[in-house]
Amino acid sequence: MDVATPTAENPLPSFDIVSTYRRILASDPDLTMPVAAIEALVEALAHSSVSTIAETLQLLERHTNILKASTPNPISLSAGTDLFQRYMIATLNRPTSLGGSVHLGPSDDFRAIRNHLLSSGKLFVERAKASREKIASFGKHFIRDGATVLTNGGSRVVGALLRRAAESSTIRFRVIYVLSPSTSSDSREGHQTVADLRAHNVPVATIPDSAVAYSLGKVDMVIVGAEGVVENGGIISRLGTYQMGLLAKSKGKPFYVVAESHKFVRLYPLSQFDLPIDQKILDFTVSDDDKVSGEQKTSEDEGVADLNPEEARSKCSGKNVDDAVDFTPPDLISGIITESGVLTPSAVSEELIKIWF
Amino acid sequence: MSEPVVREAGHPPVTAQADTTSNPTPQPQNDAKNATSTPSKGKPKLSGVELKKLKQAEKQARRAAQKAAGEQLQGQQKTPPAKDGQKQVPKDDKSKPLPMRRRPSNPNVLVAKEPKKDTKKEPKHANLFFGHLYNQPRLHSVVGASKDVHPAVLALGLQYSSYIICGSTARMVSMLVAFKAVIEDYQTPVGTSLARHLTSHHLSPQIDYLRSCRPLSIGMGNAIRWLKDVIIKIDPSTPESEAKRELITDIDNFIRDRVIAADQLISDYAAKKIEPGDVILTYASSSIVESTLLRAHLDGISFSVIVVDSKPLFEGKRLARNLSQHGIKVRCFSYSGAAHAVKDASKVFLGAHAMMSNGRLYSRVGTASIANLANSNSIPVIVLCESVKFTERVALDSIVGNEVAPAEEILSERERQALLPLKVNGEEEAVTTTNDVWKRVEEAKNLQLQQVLYDVTPAEYINMVITEYGSLPPSSVPVVHRLSTNA
Amino acid sequence: MAEGTAIATPGLSSFLKSLKTTPVEPSVAYLISLLKRRQIRNSRQCAVATTALLLRVVGEFKGKDSAKLVERIRQVGRRLTSAQPREVVVGNIVRRVLGLVREVVEDHLDAETNATSDIGHNSQPHNDSLSRPTLSSTISTFSPLKHATAEPLDASTHQSETMSDSGELPKRPGLLTSHTSYVPSSSAPLVNSLFGLFSHPDTPSTSNTPTGHQSPDNKGMLTSLNLERLADFSNSKFDVKAEVMDGIRELQDELDQSDDLIAANALDHIHSNEIILTHTASTGVQKFLLTAARKRKFTVVHVETFPHDHTGTHSVLLTGKNRDHSGDSEEDSFKPLRAAGIQVVMIPDSHVFAIMSQVNKVILATHTVLANGGLVAASGARMIAAAAKAHQTPVVVVSGVYKLSPVYPFDIDELIEYGDPGSVVPYEDGGFVDLVDVENPLYDYVPADLVDLYITNLGGHAPSYLYRIVADHYRTEDINL
Repeated sequence: MDVATPTAENPLPSFDIVSTYRRILASDPDLTMPVAAIEALVEALAHSSVSTIAETLQLLERHTNILKASTPNPISLSAGTDLFQRYMIATLNRPTSLGGSVHLGPSDDFRAIRNHLLSSGKLFVERAKASREKIASFGKHFIRDGATVLTNGGSRVVGALLRRAAESSTIRFRVIYVLSPSTSSDSREGHQTVADLRAHNVPVATIPDSAVAYSLGKVDMVIVGAEGVVENGGIISRLGTYQMGLLAKSKGKPFYVVAESHKFVRLYPLSQFDLPIDQKILDFTVSDDDKVSGEQKTSEDEGVADLNPEEARSKCSGKNVDDAVDFTPPDLISGIITESGVLTPSAVSEELIKIWF
Repeated sequence: MSEPVVREAGHPPVTAQADTTSNPTPQPQNDAKNATSTPSKGKPKLSGVELKKLKQAEKQARRAAQKAAGEQLQGQQKTPPAKDGQKQVPKDDKSKPLPMRRRPSNPNVLVAKEPKKDTKKEPKHANLFFGHLYNQPRLHSVVGASKDVHPAVLALGLQYSSYIICGSTARMVSMLVAFKAVIEDYQTPVGTSLARHLTSHHLSPQIDYLRSCRPLSIGMGNAIRWLKDVIIKIDPSTPESEAKRELITDIDNFIRDRVIAADQLISDYAAKKIEPGDVILTYASSSIVESTLLRAHLDGISFSVIVVDSKPLFEGKRLARNLSQHGIKVRCFSYSGAAHAVKDASKVFLGAHAMMSNGRLYSRVGTASIANLANSNSIPVIVLCESVKFTERVALDSIVGNEVAPAEEILSERERQALLPLKVNGEEEAVTTTNDVWKRVEEAKNLQLQQVLYDVTPAEYINMVITEYGSLPPSSVPVVHRLSTNA
Repeated sequence: MAEGTAIATPGLSSFLKSLKTTPVEPSVAYLISLLKRRQIRNSRQCAVATTALLLRVVGEFKGKDSAKLVERIRQVGRRLTSAQPREVVVGNIVRRVLGLVREVVEDHLDAETNATSDIGHNSQPHNDSLSRPTLSSTISTFSPLKHATAEPLDASTHQSETMSDSGELPKRPGLLTSHTSYVPSSSAPLVNSLFGLFSHPDTPSTSNTPTGHQSPDNKGMLTSLNLERLADFSNSKFDVKAEVMDGIRELQDELDQSDDLIAANALDHIHSNEIILTHTASTGVQKFLLTAARKRKFTVVHVETFPHDHTGTHSVLLTGKNRDHSGDSEEDSFKPLRAAGIQVVMIPDSHVFAIMSQVNKVILATHTVLANGGLVAASGARMIAAAAKAHQTPVVVVSGVYKLSPVYPFDIDELIEYGDPGSVVPYEDGGFVDLVDVENPLYDYVPADLVDLYITNLGGHAPSYLYRIVADHYRTEDINL
């Protein structure tokens, strides 16, 4: 997903996709990046005056590339933009096939789609949120009475799921919550979840990343969130998820991922270092002047960094690993809980194959 | 026929006899109950009951020997009825080849060549996995035993072959006790010295006889090696009576130091590993595990025990009963429920027949699967084993070295009964007796039942080995073995 | 375990006999009591009994209202499953019959709508039958109004893997849209649930419906409209009943042939001179091995499966017939493996690990297969599979598709049945049972990662592919009975 440089200049001076995206993201703390990106693209569509399919697709492509270029970690975002793009291609190219029974010309059809999209932008957001609730509502069945759940912070879906489980009085369970010591939004989200759970009389232990292996003996299951679910059924998630997966596997604990299906992304990483983003977590150096990055992050989203690209970029290149992600391969994952059910990693593959092939 | 062997005897002469319906002789069961109801502690002596039993057996053995001499030409299966330890093979009249056992620890040793009347027929087909282990029939009577064999040893041998004395430690201790009697009755022939003559001419026939009754356990091998070493070091000038006295004291000390004190140390160490609320899983029956659990219980720790039992020996049943009689909460699973049992456990305690030098555990067959399940559930596996049972031998699988057990033990009386109405192809009539059921199973073409006594547990499933020297990882077994043999 | 039919009275055969003469209601009650008293047990028997009963239920059903027929089957199914929740197969069969009814109805509906509703699709409620399933995906449940849009099967099928427990499932997704997944003509290049986010709230299709044309309120109506249309069939001519009964008979054929179809794969999996380990007296596995034995010589190590199935095991080894089900059922008698020249070695359960180093393949029978690739099989299976894993020995599970359950195992323990402790320790052993808590689990759960291959009547599958087979056989809307 490299940035296509030729379109780097703003295609429509009147419309700034990046700022629109940020505005949307900032306006609603519950919004995820893929959905915000789709919203932004819809707005872009609204501001444009394209009238043909080819033009539309071109426009989308241009905006998508700008958007991706604007953030240091476009994985999550690209799940949304790619999905949208694919959807547009699918719908726009199809009308003729229905021509027999539907008396709409291609242009009518195009307009219809456009209208539909423009009018239902809000709906997408609602659905995305609803999907989180839906996941939470049946994902809670995974938490059995008397179980101890290990989770790491920063995922709103996981938080929602745990809250939902806590609200149902029939399940008594305990939570071990991995909290990073930083004051990032992730950990703020985590603190909030922990407080909520405790308010519901759910015993919570908070541990640092380093205590995961130590705690694992007391754990019955691991639940984590994801930034993106990739083609082979693996996930891209907050740094530290991979090691949790490895540890859980080695101890034979079930490892569940909670993710809305709009986080499925067309990406097939082979290893940690095969991600389309530039993370400088490993910074080999011989000088010991530790350049402490005092910046504090203030963004609202889990992937976050894109609110302030310059700052984020500098962070990622430094030693700050708050925003870094890693790749958890599918063989470590017992199941991916989505709003449409629990998928095995192989089923994720099928879903992605179905739209891309 | 189904007796515990994993009785790793905390109490020297523990004899154990599982009460299985398959056992045709009721008497041994009584003995077993007698024996097990007297947990002899402290002294390296047999408890009263056991002593009496041993003596009785001795007497019977002597009588049997005389009697047998007279009727040697008749089918030797007409065993003297009073013979305590005599295993009465239920289907004598079928002239079935008795399944044989061979010493696992020392495959090259020739088994005493006793004429065995009823081995006319070769096994119907080669045993697929353990064919190499079928070698000599196990001796079930004193018929044909060398006249040099001491009556105490004669009796002991029968108790071995019928599993009345069972469990490697118990077997080792009872052997040493019998050897004491042998040494007491020994008189050095003129013209030779005790140190030279005793081992080769007097002890060897005893050992050969015991081996022909049942392959020697690794602990027994170790003890014999030690004893020979002691004898050879006796100054030839020592007066015979003094030498004999010294030897007997040495044996007593050996039993005291290497078994009784060791057992106490081990159960002390091991009991400390049991925490309140623990669920201890154990498999089959090991005396050292039993005494550890009882120790922890006496110490006031509240824990519960899961016993996994397996057919055909059902050793765990006895253990479960003993523990529960002491007020420990016990749950019992059959072997196929092992996965469930392991899921509920927090620690696994296992006894040992021997610890191999490559860190592997040689123990009652079935132990390996339990350890495997426990390991995959991240439950610590702890082996309790006296250092006297460590061996320099190594083993990779359970096939190369093992002890084959008679296949007919697999089908208990109860199970045979269940098979009575079966109509094998062609035959219209269902058989009427349980013996016929077995006969049918046995004669069935292309079908064989197989049974061995031990298996080998990979070292990576074992988290800790507790010996009298303390706790060690399985990889340190050879270190401790060297230490304990050189000391 | 497919141990075939029990003839012991009362049992499956007595039930089947009585079914011919007894009216439906007493028959249902009879089967319930048989299930409760465990006089019918094991997957195969339960499946046969349930299918026979449902055939009768459908046959006696009065009226032509297919919605009522669905409700009737559902109601019988609910009673049966609650009688014996651990016999998951009962529920499987009920769900498949329900799926049959829906399919039959939809096929006709489809034909009808295609014939009549070319025009006015916007106002006609069934225009959505034309809409492409592509867009009306699973994620429709997203929509602010729950259960509003219909869910096409192929998009939503993976729900079936999982959501059996979740009360949040749309209770009654419209049938009309679902059918499209069966109709290849409407197959657009992309059929995808991931597009659900974009689906238009009003109609599943965004392509042929002008936006904003219908108010969102319509959505709520969709379901009811679909139901109405289901009911409408009472007026139409075609005979739902007959077609459903034909379908059920096909299902019966599937049950009959399942073992043979599975066995047909045998030569692909067993080569000469192999050593195969198996356990329990499963007829399916025995037939599988026998088929291979016709062409190849190999050795079978049979684990005794004490204390539940040892008698059956011995019987099967000796005579090829499971003694537990001896009698007139011809289906179960076949010649024993040893008569086919196969060397059989029987070992006690405790010997599995010791022998495993010599074994080339492990073949397991099963009680139930779960959508996540795990299975519930006779106890001991877990231990065997774990030992095989430790020795890198492949584990093959032989199972009919009818044992494949859409139920997601949230709690495995609920599926495990405990048997008579007396078979572990005889009751004659006075006092022991009082002192010691004897437990006798009949089944083991074997997680998917211990299984290498499933062989069903459809062929061989990786455990990771089972979700798809589940999806192909069960309708999402039937997962909650």
